Amino acid sequence: MIENIAEITKDQLLGETQKMSGQNYRFVTTSCVDLGDGNLDVLYHFDKDAKLQNLRIKAKRGEEVPSISKIYLCAVLVENEMKELFGLNVTGMAIDYGGHMLLTPEALKNPQSKITIEQRGEK
Amino acid sequence: MIKTTIPFGPQHPVLPEPLHLKLVMEDEKIVEAIPAIGYVHRGLEKLAEVKDFHQNVFLVERICGICSVQHAMAYVQGIETMMNIEIPDRAKYLRVIWAELHRIHSHLLWLGLFADAFGFEALFMQCWRDREKVMDIMEATSGARVVVSVNVVGGTKRDISSEHLAEIIRVVDQVKEDMKNMENAFLNDYTVKHRTVGVGHLTKEQAYSLGAVGPMARASGVAQDLRTLGYAAYNDLCFDMVVETAGDCWARTAVRLKEVYECVRLIKAAIDKLPKGDFAVPVKGNPTGEVISRVEQPRGEVLYYIKGNGTKNLDRLRVRTPTFANIPTLLVMLPGSQLADVPVLLLTIDPCISCTER
Amino acid sequence: MFDFLGSVLKNVISKPATRMYPYETREAMDKARGALGEIEIEKCIFCGICATKCPSIAIKVDKAERSWEFNRLKCIVCNVCVEVCPVKCLHMDKAHLGPLLAVEKTKRNGPPKPAPAAKAAESTN
Repeated sequence: MIENIAEITKDQLLGETQKMSGQNYRFVTTSCVDLGDGNLDVLYHFDKDAKLQNLRIKAKRGEEVPSISKIYLCAVLVENEMKELFGLNVTGMAIDYGGHMLLTPEALKNPQSKITIEQRGEK
Repeated sequence: MIKTTIPFGPQHPVLPEPLHLKLVMEDEKIVEAIPAIGYVHRGLEKLAEVKDFHQNVFLVERICGICSVQHAMAYVQGIETMMNIEIPDRAKYLRVIWAELHRIHSHLLWLGLFADAFGFEALFMQCWRDREKVMDIMEATSGARVVVSVNVVGGTKRDISSEHLAEIIRVVDQVKEDMKNMENAFLNDYTVKHRTVGVGHLTKEQAYSLGAVGPMARASGVAQDLRTLGYAAYNDLCFDMVVETAGDCWARTAVRLKEVYECVRLIKAAIDKLPKGDFAVPVKGNPTGEVISRVEQPRGEVLYYIKGNGTKNLDRLRVRTPTFANIPTLLVMLPGSQLADVPVLLLTIDPCISCTER
Repeated sequence: MFDFLGSVLKNVISKPATRMYPYETREAMDKARGALGEIEIEKCIFCGICATKCPSIAIKVDKAERSWEFNRLKCIVCNVCVEVCPVKCLHMDKAHLGPLLAVEKTKRNGPPKPAPAAKAAESTN
């Protein structure tokens, strides 16, 4: 249902992002989706004249994915966020918060991934 | 020269938001700035997977109080696209009216805070006095002053009566009148200009490559406003974009100030063209598939990525808020500026950290 | 430099824009969502729709026990329970409540189940 989406592998990611940058696209954000069983979908959204162009890569939790922050510096925050909340191992970020941008050291690891939530106390 | 590191925030008088900046200084000049967030992370995206998709409307409204209408709008428009719901025309216009009232109140809040940051108390009071009128009219039409909760999947929750429409026109005209008075103080005052002109300069190329959105980008000459996409009723209202080219704090003030006039015009045009009829349609079934929904907030573009799985719960709700996109610009704007300019400069990105961390 | 002086002088001689709260309060607007009002428990049929639709899990309904429980501190005053109630036994108060000193749960027990004949007579009212 998403328009302009291209499925690529993670080895193509840097090349495709470079191409986007060359075509004067603006980086919007990335979205990470947990598909269950440690499979992650990562969507990269780019915009030009209010038209979105999306890239989708598939990765496993803990798998190394290259950072695009060398091409788009503004991707730094969102890549740190993905690393913390989903456990996607993004390597080579321009600023690495070391997994503590949003979370404290004693917080649950990868809180956004598919986990079962137990009801605490009475409803 | 010896380098000193000065922590700025998370508690700072100029900013009610918990944003921490590590400023590496050489004398009074900043050489490096590293923003740090993480003081108000609430895990709202995870909570959205537990609630059903109707209840999520109330959840996303509480991501940010100041732009709650636009958050709800982005969410319900996404769900409506997924479920192929065509909402009545009246609901589209009502959404525009409430959204633009919200934009006025957000911009007046920011203008007031900004006046306070450069030490102009009377101007601050004047801005907030006008904002109060807008919030009163929101309470009269929707039932609450800030989190108005009018958007639901399939339309709006309430209608606006003709007496209230007349009242809205009266209030926005009054706001416009008062703004004309304040405009001179904000844009032409000698002392104010000393604090804003040339401070925190961001070129058009920098703004574009750093992904700046909203008034930040428009003040640097990047003509980008998602209201041009024509969602809700914006297509019929001949929306004019406000763009400045100076790229400094003065230009960002000017963009927000002039947008208030544009909001007033849009509200009056929407009331003028408001069609008669229903304002909501019944919703059956559950959303399935993926959708990206974007809406222009007072602070810039907000992106919702929604993934449904055919049940009443969503698989994923991703929110990229405008401040998240504007924080990287600080990495470029702060180095080279004076320590005394940091509060003013920081405020011009209109930071909303509770939005950013969700 | 004196652009704003006119407005300042006008403000000096005009009445204040603020109110002497709490001695002077503004009447709440007609449609205002202040706080969830007292339930009309004799009308309630304990269907539990308000409890399932509530986004903040503030309402708890026990059908067997015929009780309705409400936690005011969890309530976000969204008006959903009032809208979905099939017998309109909930309503919204205009004025909002003041601060609470302790966690307060409102629990209301309905009258024992009426006989079918009496219930039919009630529904025609």
